[in-house]
Amino acid sequence: MSNDVMIVAKDLTKNFGSFRALDKINFEVGRGEIVGFLGPNGAGKSTTMRILTCFISPTEGSARVNGHDVFDDPLQVRESLGYLPQRAPLYLEMSVVEYLRFAADLRHLDPETFRRRATSVVEVCGLAQVLGQEIRYLSHGYRQRVGLAQALIHDPPILILDEPTSDLDPNEKAEFLDYLKQIGRERTVMLSTHNLAEVEASCARAIIISRGRIVADGPLDEIRAKSGRVRYVVSVQEAPGSAPYRGRGVPPKKGDVEDGLGKVAGVKRLAALPTDERAHAFELVSEQDTDLRPEVFKLVVDRGWVLLELHRDAQTLEDVFRSLTIGDERRNRRLGAAEQDQEEADEEDSDEGDGEDQGQPRVAAPGGGTAAKAQGS
Amino acid sequence: MRNILIIARRDLRAQFNSPVAYVVIGGAMLLLGVLFFLVPRMGGGFFMGSFWEVDRASMDQLFEYLPPLMCLFVIPAVTMRSLAAEKGSGTLELLITMPVRDSEVILGKYLAACAMVLVLLLATMLYPIAMFKWPWHLGALDWGPVWSGYLGCALFSCAAVAIGMMLSSLTESDVVAFFMTAGVLLVLYIVGFMVSIVPAAWADAIGFVSFLTRYHSFARGLIDTRAVVYFLSVTTVCLLVSFRSLESRKWS
Repeated sequence: MSNDVMIVAKDLTKNFGSFRALDKINFEVGRGEIVGFLGPNGAGKSTTMRILTCFISPTEGSARVNGHDVFDDPLQVRESLGYLPQRAPLYLEMSVVEYLRFAADLRHLDPETFRRRATSVVEVCGLAQVLGQEIRYLSHGYRQRVGLAQALIHDPPILILDEPTSDLDPNEKAEFLDYLKQIGRERTVMLSTHNLAEVEASCARAIIISRGRIVADGPLDEIRAKSGRVRYVVSVQEAPGSAPYRGRGVPPKKGDVEDGLGKVAGVKRLAALPTDERAHAFELVSEQDTDLRPEVFKLVVDRGWVLLELHRDAQTLEDVFRSLTIGDERRNRRLGAAEQDQEEADEEDSDEGDGEDQGQPRVAAPGGGTAAKAQGS
Repeated sequence: MRNILIIARRDLRAQFNSPVAYVVIGGAMLLLGVLFFLVPRMGGGFFMGSFWEVDRASMDQLFEYLPPLMCLFVIPAVTMRSLAAEKGSGTLELLITMPVRDSEVILGKYLAACAMVLVLLLATMLYPIAMFKWPWHLGALDWGPVWSGYLGCALFSCAAVAIGMMLSSLTESDVVAFFMTAGVLLVLYIVGFMVSIVPAAWADAIGFVSFLTRYHSFARGLIDTRAVVYFLSVTTVCLLVSFRSLESRKWS
């Protein structure tokens, strides 16, 4: 990490009533870093960003932005950053150029500087054709660009972008991420998103946050290695179709395959993948240092099944993200009752139930007795 | 100070860029015209009678009808957007995270809302001017009470706008803000009518808070410093509350 630290968060805690949105968050961001701030919905990404922009105050802890404390010098903090809130809330009745001028006025840019900066941000954000239009008539993608333009108008050393790409189409997204890399060379950029592909495309470092805690912070490669798991995809023929069946006896039932794979040593997780009626497909997850492929092959040969597919995937960031955030929810749940008062624990439990339903759609395989066992082992 | 003016200018421009300003000012002028010239005396003096019916060279009707119009219609419509709508749509977040103080946001918005209302007050000056100066001369108008009446109206409006701002800062819905403001202002205005019905001890208290009692001396040509202080204090207190309410987002 660079010595030139631009953002420091120290033990940031934020309670909304009895709900703990942030729980002792610590991180540092240096000059020239582009940091992806990742987490499921409701993890505390926006809350953190709002604290850094002095929109809300932390319940405990402190944060410094560009050397200024968010509590003591909110104006200096805001001067040194450009902020794009979620969904780019802009004044709809203003035209794009009026809005940019308003932002520049509040930042006390003189007209000459404004003209120079405006020319550059308008070009960069691709706003030239819509300058005179009222923002209400712009598509969400364009609104997001206007939001970005206002954040850049004063050439800030720090950019804080809350889900900047949520309303952009894929082309715009790619363009935006390219551009982000460009401006990120001399600036500090912190962007929140739940789209992992974006982080992989534009950030060198990610901070993953889940239920108000940081669960991973570091270079992407390190994070990728962190979960230390490997994913396999296995498909076994289910019905021969027109060609004769090459296996022994009759094609296996789904339950048989699932049972068999579940018993393979080293399987951490087993999940059925959707397929057509020709094959049974499963996803296996194992630890990094074991290779399941020989075992799987042997199992298939012993049973006389027909193996259609067996391959090993490198761990994607998405898998890491899921295993980290879901695992963290489990841990919280166990600690929950002991650490916090009962009311809060109850609330958290019910919240987590929801989170898991969304976060883990494929793990809960149908006929999941074996799956559950495999998961537990 | 500069930020206050920038915010005020933006707000004012937003009002005039949208139909709101025109609907409010046009509607208020139309209603005022109907009340001033057409509505006869009825309801046991609740409507004081049209200008022609009373047949005196005075602006009494104007100063009688203007405050309730302001309370019910103009001020709620002007202040509902200033904070409530911005909170609802999230634009306030972007505004506040610019390098501006919370107090500058409140004062800028207050200034813009006041300016809106003063534009309407200025527009009503067409009445005395057109009828007693040019092009018509309907009699010798005593201008003293007209000026003091306008001063009273302006002070009254400033206080009422501050109340509207305060209520607007407490909610995120402009509709709620509109009806709360209209309700509170109406109550503050009409309790004045109860002074004559309730027991004397109550009457003093009611007379103290009533906007109507405070305002009436101005309409009669009397500049009452107690009323001036009262309106300015209400303004200050309400602006302070709005400021605190805006600040409270940090701690909630």
